[in-house]
Amino acid sequence: MAKKRQPPVEKASVQLLVNDVEITVPEGTTLLEAAKEAGTEVPHYCYHPELSSPAQCRLCLVEVEGAPKLVPSCTTTVAEGQVVKTDSESATKMRQGVLEFYLVNHPLDCPICDQSGECDLQDFVFSEGRKHGRSKAAKRVIGRDDFGGDILFYGDRCVMCTRCVRFMEEMEQKPILTVVERGNRAVIDTFFEQGLEEAEWAGNVVDICPVGALVSKDFLYKARAWDLEHTPSICPNCSMGCNIEIHTRDNLVQRFKPRKNIEVNGSWICDYGRGGYEWLNQGGRIEKPTMKDTHEPGNGTQEPFGWEDLLRGLGARLKESAESVDVIASPVSSNEDLGAVLGLLKALGGGKILYRCPTSAEEVKLPGKEGLRRTNQLAPNVDGLKILGAVNVGDGSGAGGLEDIGASNSTVLVLGDRLEDQKDGFAENAGLLVYLGSHASQALSQADYILPITTYVEQEGTFVSSGGRVQRFSKGLEGPHAARPAWSILNELTNIISGSSDGDNVEEAFQKLSRISDAFTGLSYEDIGPEGVQLDAVAKKD
Amino acid sequence: MPISTKIMERPEAVETSYLRAALKGMKITLKHMLNPKKVTQQYPEVETRLHPRWRGTHRMEVHADGRPKCVACGLCPTVCPANCIRLVGGEDDQGNRYPVVYEIDEFRCIFCGMCQEVCPVEAIHVGQDFENAEYTRERFVYDLDRLMNQDHPTTLLWDPADPLSE
Repeated sequence: MAKKRQPPVEKASVQLLVNDVEITVPEGTTLLEAAKEAGTEVPHYCYHPELSSPAQCRLCLVEVEGAPKLVPSCTTTVAEGQVVKTDSESATKMRQGVLEFYLVNHPLDCPICDQSGECDLQDFVFSEGRKHGRSKAAKRVIGRDDFGGDILFYGDRCVMCTRCVRFMEEMEQKPILTVVERGNRAVIDTFFEQGLEEAEWAGNVVDICPVGALVSKDFLYKARAWDLEHTPSICPNCSMGCNIEIHTRDNLVQRFKPRKNIEVNGSWICDYGRGGYEWLNQGGRIEKPTMKDTHEPGNGTQEPFGWEDLLRGLGARLKESAESVDVIASPVSSNEDLGAVLGLLKALGGGKILYRCPTSAEEVKLPGKEGLRRTNQLAPNVDGLKILGAVNVGDGSGAGGLEDIGASNSTVLVLGDRLEDQKDGFAENAGLLVYLGSHASQALSQADYILPITTYVEQEGTFVSSGGRVQRFSKGLEGPHAARPAWSILNELTNIISGSSDGDNVEEAFQKLSRISDAFTGLSYEDIGPEGVQLDAVAKKD
Repeated sequence: MPISTKIMERPEAVETSYLRAALKGMKITLKHMLNPKKVTQQYPEVETRLHPRWRGTHRMEVHADGRPKCVACGLCPTVCPANCIRLVGGEDDQGNRYPVVYEIDEFRCIFCGMCQEVCPVEAIHVGQDFENAEYTRERFVYDLDRLMNQDHPTTLLWDPADPLSE
């Protein structure tokens, strides 16, 4: 039965048997990670791959042949020829016992608990626990505590895994949370009057809490976990490009959650990024493409138009009027949008792209993860704009800088920027003012053409972030019926003007970039996996 | 004439006359007229008794202080096969989870009673009620107030003396 010892396949790799599956893993891997490799999830609470392991939840104990008793798989490292059994009778019985102890004081208020549906205690007890508890003692009641910031603490639900304590100590390195008292009375608490409002990354403790002890005030009672649709995306709130999952319900964004990407953000996102989703749910959308009625000058009425006629008309006007086009792009525009703008400018004979970006004075670093920070550029595609030759104007709040725009007979194209700092009647004297935007803009209400575009969550595409990493985001919401991605509108315009016939899909829109910028050469849309590609790495490969 | 046509002989007039059947019917009518045992229910003058497991329009149970018992856990909209329950949860002034919006579209409802079965706090019930006439379709979407103000008896989904129907 015992496997014959074999010489190591290569130095620093270890062969072992987990649940009769033979695997080879690097030396120093924990049994828990090795089991994951072999396709077995060992239940655990206190272990988190990016934090230290205190081995205190006692749930990940597994049987190792030859060991006198069960060993914690989260701290035990693999050894050559080990035979590990995670589902042996003794391990299963032990887990059942441990889970029963967890439920002695757990309130079982799943119906009103926000974690319900994504709760590790619920899952493990459902799959392996006893059907009925045997404890007759009254449950300990602690109640609810406000930890400050966005965090609420339900003490009764806590399983004392201390992941939150270790996150604050090791990652954020502001030890605000701690374990107070011992044994049965142990409880997580903040130090005296100190609270999590001082922390900048505290939202992550809600994500790593395996039960509903730490919950978000913003998300409190808002939706059930099983009702939410998950869309892989990129955080739009700074140029770090943290990988996130957008959770949506009823065509509204309900919350942002981090998506694991070791290269960029690990398992974490900052509170600033996590909270910045409301603008995606905002009303005041542009519902229909409109054109200023030229037959009644001064009247300013704008008639709803169909896309086809309108773009043909706009194409003709651009062709006859434009010598040079000024484009004001938004730093949330995707690379495909910018590629389509550059394609249009090329067809028209030149122009320049300006953008304004709100900035913050300081970066917000996460000390425990090297390189991860909230950058001081508070928009997702600043790096993409720079690579594609856009010029930054305006001040640090993302305002101003447009004094030279809108001279008489010039052509101005506004892409996504709502120009909230500008007065009504922006660029009145311009020969042609086109606004491609998702939301109605006061300053641009007199634009010659107002074309509805989708927000970045309503289309797919790519951003370049965190210093030259191109990453994809997916479509998670339905936009207004008539709205189209900006790249789709601009590429159709280019087709009309230059008589070309490029396809109307995101792959081809991305492909255009490689024709424009060397940085994108040799990269196709499909090449960018779920975790993105470093642009300079692609260049090196060629 | 096509080969496949078969000529049927008409039956005699005595056989085809409606008179015979009419008399037969009259005979049954007369028999029941003279029968002393009455089976006709005098609805609506006399109220009809419904079976305890009759599943009709819903009713929300309330606490003594008038709050709905519902904790907005979301299980009934999840289990509902007709997708007729709309629920939006929220936090009340005491920090409890409660339904901000709770609507049941009784037109969509198939009265399976699964919402009552799944409810962890015995808040939503199907009821012993069938008089649901309204003048507009909109009135068939029952909101929380209306569900709380329903006063008909709730349905027994199982016999309390024999919950497993053994």
